[in-house]
Amino acid sequence: MFKYLSILRINWIHSLEYRANALIGLFAILSGLFIEYQIWSLIFSQNNYSSINMDGVNSGYSFEQLIVFIFLSIIVGQLKSSWVTSSQMILEIRQGLINKYLIRPMSYFWYHFMMFVGTNSLYVIVYSLLISFFVYFFPGMIFQNIFSLVGFLISLLLSIYLSYCIYFIMVCFAFWFGEVRSIVVAYNVGMLMISGQYIPIRLFPPEFLSIIKWTPIPYLVDLPVSIATGIINVNEWKTSIGIGFFWCIILTAICFIIYKTAIKGYEAYGQ
Amino acid sequence: MFIQIKNISKSFKIFQRKAGLKAAFKSFLKRDYKNFHALQNINLEIQKGEIIGILGENGAGKTTLIKLMVGLLHPNNGTINIDGHNPWKRNYNFLKSISVVMGQKNQLWWDIPASESFLLNKHIYNLSDSDYKATLNELVEYLDVKDKINIQVRRLSLGERMKMEIIAALLHKPKIILLDEPTLGLDVISQSKIREFVKHYNRKYGTTFIITSHYTKDIQEMCERVFVLHKGKAIYDGDFNELIKNINPHRRLIFEFIKSPNHHFINSLQSKFKFEMNGKILTANLSESNLQNLLSSLLENHKANNISFEDLPVDDTLRNFFQNPDKYIH
Repeated sequence: MFKYLSILRINWIHSLEYRANALIGLFAILSGLFIEYQIWSLIFSQNNYSSINMDGVNSGYSFEQLIVFIFLSIIVGQLKSSWVTSSQMILEIRQGLINKYLIRPMSYFWYHFMMFVGTNSLYVIVYSLLISFFVYFFPGMIFQNIFSLVGFLISLLLSIYLSYCIYFIMVCFAFWFGEVRSIVVAYNVGMLMISGQYIPIRLFPPEFLSIIKWTPIPYLVDLPVSIATGIINVNEWKTSIGIGFFWCIILTAICFIIYKTAIKGYEAYGQ
Repeated sequence: MFIQIKNISKSFKIFQRKAGLKAAFKSFLKRDYKNFHALQNINLEIQKGEIIGILGENGAGKTTLIKLMVGLLHPNNGTINIDGHNPWKRNYNFLKSISVVMGQKNQLWWDIPASESFLLNKHIYNLSDSDYKATLNELVEYLDVKDKINIQVRRLSLGERMKMEIIAALLHKPKIILLDEPTLGLDVISQSKIREFVKHYNRKYGTTFIITSHYTKDIQEMCERVFVLHKGKAIYDGDFNELIKNINPHRRLIFEFIKSPNHHFINSLQSKFKFEMNGKILTANLSESNLQNLLSSLLENHKANNISFEDLPVDDTLRNFFQNPDKYIH
């Protein structure tokens, strides 16, 4: 276990080596929030909305509540997204650089999971400050009680792990096809829309919601944000987190089966 | 036997296409594959503590053999046993007992000091603080890089980087070390330092080294035994100097006369031996027995200002060998 924590440590050291890159990355989220704010304020003012209907919300959602919801969604979406780690893994497989991991006593899956967590966890510091700002200025809209905070943290970890598993499965296709970054790009773009990162999935048509509830998608963004904003209560989120864990087991099994099959046919080209 | 390789064969399916846009479109729709036999029926046994060199031209199968030995590749046929382990199973104890250095961007994190990568390896290999410090100090002192380990890897010279790679590879004191082109791109001094280090480490710890290199001097200085591959087949396994003697049994004699010899004498010698005259200097490339006979004839009739013997350049010898190995090995 300690060896994987040391991967987290070295990843932080590595990220801090490039100060400008780290700082710009940390504050990039603000631009997304600004755009969302502009779009939704336009929708509310032009249609004279005082609230908007969302699935699971009885009395509708006010502009402030919606902005808080979207803001949290962007943060969760950012924390579960992987561009750096998945690109790196694809490159390693394509160019044979993966060999250096395979000849050491560690797991490629867990090594890159820690890299993924390491890269994204640096953002947690700034995001926590931003969330505190929202908690202070929008009282009652976020983390109404300690359970919603605990539930949020558990479901966030679940989301990060599920998301990593999905990336890992896509990355493994590089063993057969070489270059698969376009799959990751397509997935990232698709997830921006359908995971609720920029538009809450609760605004989508019921038919669509009835389909995606059978996939891991609602556990990526919607579940943590719904818990944090109190859309679902403790009893409901316990069940949802349970289903999320079930997805973790399924996706972990798929990851290992695909990886094992891929590595058997791997030709270890390059170095 | 410490390392035992029996009847190993490995082939790859290689995608190929002609150059040009038309061929690129064609291959997008339908791909042509060719079977490439990288290794065929290889047998090799290595004792603990040996330094063995794997020789061969590009594409001979050297790196494939190394990758099979460390479990990166799965053979099509045959078995490999490394100190009781099947490499392909990649179990923890096996991976802890080996180390591989392939190129100069292997284990080190490029943008941060090598000391951070060393610390990561300490945790990966679960080393105790005292073992880690003692080994690191020893390696750093011997390779003379104490003042470099806290500098970003990308700012180090090629030679320094290779030394850091070697330190990272040896921190866990592996039983077997596979070095793939360890001196590639290094200057003469760094090359010699690496060679010296390998010999020192092997003597001190009895570590088994398996080395591939295109620099003949690496093999000549570090390995008594060589395993030669040619187009995926093993063509020689034995003493390196024996191999060179088999390929080119000639040596060079340089005989400097005190006074220029007369033409009759030279003509009579030239009817028996092949040599060249340049002023007062006679140069002959002959087999050992002919060389002795020529020298006797010369010394019977003339005094020498200087006599020297030279082995023919090993590089040239090996080049001739690889051009037509069947001629030399039966």
